Amino acid sequence: MKKVSIIAILFSFVSLPLFAAPLQSLGSGEGELNVVAWAGYLERGETVEAFDWVTGYEDNTGCKVNIKTAGTSDEMVALMNEGGFDIVTASGDASLRLIAGGTVQEINIDLIPSWDTIDPRLQNAEWHTVDGKHYGTPYMWGSNVLMYNTNAVSEAPTSWDVVFEEKTLSDGKSNKGRVQAFDGPIHIADAAMYLMYHQPELGIKDPYELTNDQYQASLDLLRQQRELVGRYWHDAFMQIDDFTNEGFVLSASWPFQVNLLVGAEQPIASTIPQEGATGWADTTMVHSDSENINCAYMWMEHQLSSNLQSDLGVWFGAVPSVPSKCGTGLMDPAAGIYQEGQNACQINGIDNFDKIYFWKTPVSKCETQESCVPYYKWVTDYIAVLGGR
Amino acid sequence: MISSLDNFSNYLYKNKHILLLIFLLPPLLWLGIIYLGSLVVFLFHSLFYLDGFTGKVVYQISFSTIAELFSSPANIDILIRTVVLALAVSIGAAVIGFPIAFYMAKFTSPKIKIFFYLAIMLPLWSSYLVRVYSWKLILAKEGIINWVLAKLHLTWLLDAILSLPVVGGPSLSISYLGMFLVFTYIWLPFMILPIQASLERVPNSLLNASYDLGATRRQTFYKVVLPLALPGIAAGSIFTFSLTLGDYIIPYIIGTSKFFIGQAVYTHQGTAGNIPLAAAFSLVPIGVMAIYIYFAKKLGAFNAL
Amino acid sequence: MIKALNLRNINKRYNETVALSDINLDIEDGEFFSLLGPSGSGKTTCLKVIGGFEEPDTGDVTLFNEDVTYTPPFKRNVNTVFQDYALFPHMNVEENVSYSLKIKKIPKNEQKSKVDEILSIVKLNGYEKRKPSELSGGQRQRVALARSLINRPKILLLDEPLGALDLKLREQMQFELKNLQRQFQITFIYVTHDQQEALSMSDRIAIFNEGKIEQIDTPNNIYLKPKTAFVADFIGTTSIIPKDFAKKSLKYNYGFSIRPENININSNIAEYDFSINASINDIQFQGSYYKILCQTENINLTALHYLDMKNPLNIKIGDNIQLSWNKMDITNLDD
Repeated sequence: MKKVSIIAILFSFVSLPLFAAPLQSLGSGEGELNVVAWAGYLERGETVEAFDWVTGYEDNTGCKVNIKTAGTSDEMVALMNEGGFDIVTASGDASLRLIAGGTVQEINIDLIPSWDTIDPRLQNAEWHTVDGKHYGTPYMWGSNVLMYNTNAVSEAPTSWDVVFEEKTLSDGKSNKGRVQAFDGPIHIADAAMYLMYHQPELGIKDPYELTNDQYQASLDLLRQQRELVGRYWHDAFMQIDDFTNEGFVLSASWPFQVNLLVGAEQPIASTIPQEGATGWADTTMVHSDSENINCAYMWMEHQLSSNLQSDLGVWFGAVPSVPSKCGTGLMDPAAGIYQEGQNACQINGIDNFDKIYFWKTPVSKCETQESCVPYYKWVTDYIAVLGGR
Repeated sequence: MISSLDNFSNYLYKNKHILLLIFLLPPLLWLGIIYLGSLVVFLFHSLFYLDGFTGKVVYQISFSTIAELFSSPANIDILIRTVVLALAVSIGAAVIGFPIAFYMAKFTSPKIKIFFYLAIMLPLWSSYLVRVYSWKLILAKEGIINWVLAKLHLTWLLDAILSLPVVGGPSLSISYLGMFLVFTYIWLPFMILPIQASLERVPNSLLNASYDLGATRRQTFYKVVLPLALPGIAAGSIFTFSLTLGDYIIPYIIGTSKFFIGQAVYTHQGTAGNIPLAAAFSLVPIGVMAIYIYFAKKLGAFNAL
Repeated sequence: MIKALNLRNINKRYNETVALSDINLDIEDGEFFSLLGPSGSGKTTCLKVIGGFEEPDTGDVTLFNEDVTYTPPFKRNVNTVFQDYALFPHMNVEENVSYSLKIKKIPKNEQKSKVDEILSIVKLNGYEKRKPSELSGGQRQRVALARSLINRPKILLLDEPLGALDLKLREQMQFELKNLQRQFQITFIYVTHDQQEALSMSDRIAIFNEGKIEQIDTPNNIYLKPKTAFVADFIGTTSIIPKDFAKKSLKYNYGFSIRPENININSNIAEYDFSINASINDIQFQGSYYKILCQTENINLTALHYLDMKNPLNIKIGDNIQLSWNKMDITNLDD
């Protein structure tokens, strides 16, 4: 990791932004496509046989797909800076960094026939569109949810207050020690979102753009939350284990865990409370120095037009970027997939788009405020909150 | 042609240090440039600092990052938390490991000794993650330990232990006690094997000489066996101590989510891009280890080497 | 008179190997007594039984009339000098030597004076602060002696203490050990496989072979009157004449042994009781004499020829010579 970061720094000096014109016409495939992706994003049937949206692409285009999975947005940025990759499935907290660093190139949407099928709300989203130029094709989006154990919480909570303030739950016991929260600093945005609703006098306009006062208020709320949280969650499968074996009953979580826990017949349900929710939106972006650019464009078309959108939505508990793909996904209880295919998009929150605050990297120069607390401060202070400070 | 080759080989034979240099150069370069070089470059970053406004690293020499490390109470908490746990784990591993090592070195037949070697090494051959996850299940509220204690009607005992301040918590897996258990288990082989090796080198005649001179078994243990095993205990504790100082996996899986040095380094250099602070954090284990080895040497841990 | 040590019917086995078989031994107070034998003969095991490091399977060990068979070593008034000296490597000379005093909680100043005294006896003053690793072999030996003697034990056990030293040093240490024993007037029980060492230092010697004692006697008698073929063969150079050969060729009814210095070459047959023809297999130069290795039938005989101006060596390998000796010089062997 150390070495990677040093190389990343070196590259940030060397690779100057190249604002070349996007590709004008599509040629034939180069025979190869090198991808940096989140784990579980590119399935070729190796986990569950039915879930395969890579083989079809390879058969149709002759482009062999090589996948490198990354665990964090920073790892993705570092890998892309190292080079040797053609495309990346970047989240909102990485995509703008890649664009600013010149690591990814502008794309020509005319070369992607299915572009118009993309959800209009995503076509010009700010995390991949800069000055009217497109730097990627929307891949998948989803929202965080409030996951709860129905034995302890009989009715769906209408507010996130159950994870931020001490409450007596419907089983008569306090929520103290039974709440989990994400251990990444981005969770500060969840607290800011909560305050945005309950303390409008703070003037929070965007949970990722906080003035110092707004930021301190959010930290205070999280310090209060620390008293309720026995252990923070870091990894989806660890959280599943904690909800199964450790008696945790409430947490901000991903639909992915909810689906798996419901599938394992645990008394688990989820909801999006009145304050809204944070969420993520990923974009397929093309490396500036891609050597397989035709294969990359073919992939972007494939990702919109094939079974990828619908099946990945079911698989990952996410919402397709192409709404017409809703309800066509796989449904296979025998394979451990319990998502209701027809309603997958509704369950995963397609109607909540406006209530979702998508992840992005907090920076000093923000749009809605004069100046904001940057991300590195979020990291330091969230560590302190976890440590009880 | 042959004669010049002969001359060359004669030359090398007479100047053995040149031959040695030729053989040692590649590994030395590896050690010097790849290994130490990259470490020094990384640590040197602790003298840079992060610009508070842009969030970018400023490449100017300054002690502000190191000052930041030691002025923030949250950071001090992390340092103290990590060092105390590492000390506790080292002591725990020595207390558990010594009798096993002693038995192995002095009382076993060769066959049983091989069995012990296997038993100690076997866990190291399986994935570290698998073992830590297994412990999470063992220690969980619905886990094996709870189940066994419930069957024995001893749940009150566990509850009493878990209600202790600081080390306790809602369940074993969410407490410092659980972390201590897992760390001690994971690093135990690194304690047993050096102690066993040091005891193996103590000839039985020394023990006989001690009895002969009027010392009881107990006196012999404290005056002869323990001092001669000290280098092994010191070597083992250097392993357990430094491994605990640097680990960032176990604190993610077991415990109360309070950060340890390894996690702080990982998070600051990874997600935060705050390489100077990560480098400053990395300086601490190096400094602590230097102090630790200095005092171990002062206390005579290496006298019997 | 009270014996320093009695061993009664000691037996000891290690699994299938018999280490000691029915050992009986009495050692007088103040005696320099050696246990001599080849390696694996049981002499070291016997010493360990005396020291308390091994328990016998059967039999009794008595020290000054006190039964100590099952007494642990730290309760016996016996000290041992080990083969490898067994100095504590983490302690300096002073700490090694005062170890037993510290165990007995003797006051510090008394410890100091005792250490000074014993170190001056073994001539190691000024080495107090040295570690064993900084000493020569001979010096380590002296430290081990000092450490064992500082308690003034009634019996000192020495397990091949000079084995690791070179010849010159060994001869010097033999002399010093003997002096120490006289000075302290304590019983030394000395294990060695070196017959020369045993013969030159001991008051009495027990010869060990295959876990049994073959003979207990003074060095003089051991050498001149060996009771068994093993002893005769093991001690010095000797020629063994088996019983049937003696009957056939010498008209003598016993097997016997004869020392080479008692065999005469080509002398007047009439002056000797026995005489025999033999051929020379080899002639070995030994410094002050030649060793003449002879053979008749399948019997090997060794004779000596001392260097002398008046008596030049006029025989060579392959010659047939006359060997003769007197009856008074032979030792009859038990069957």
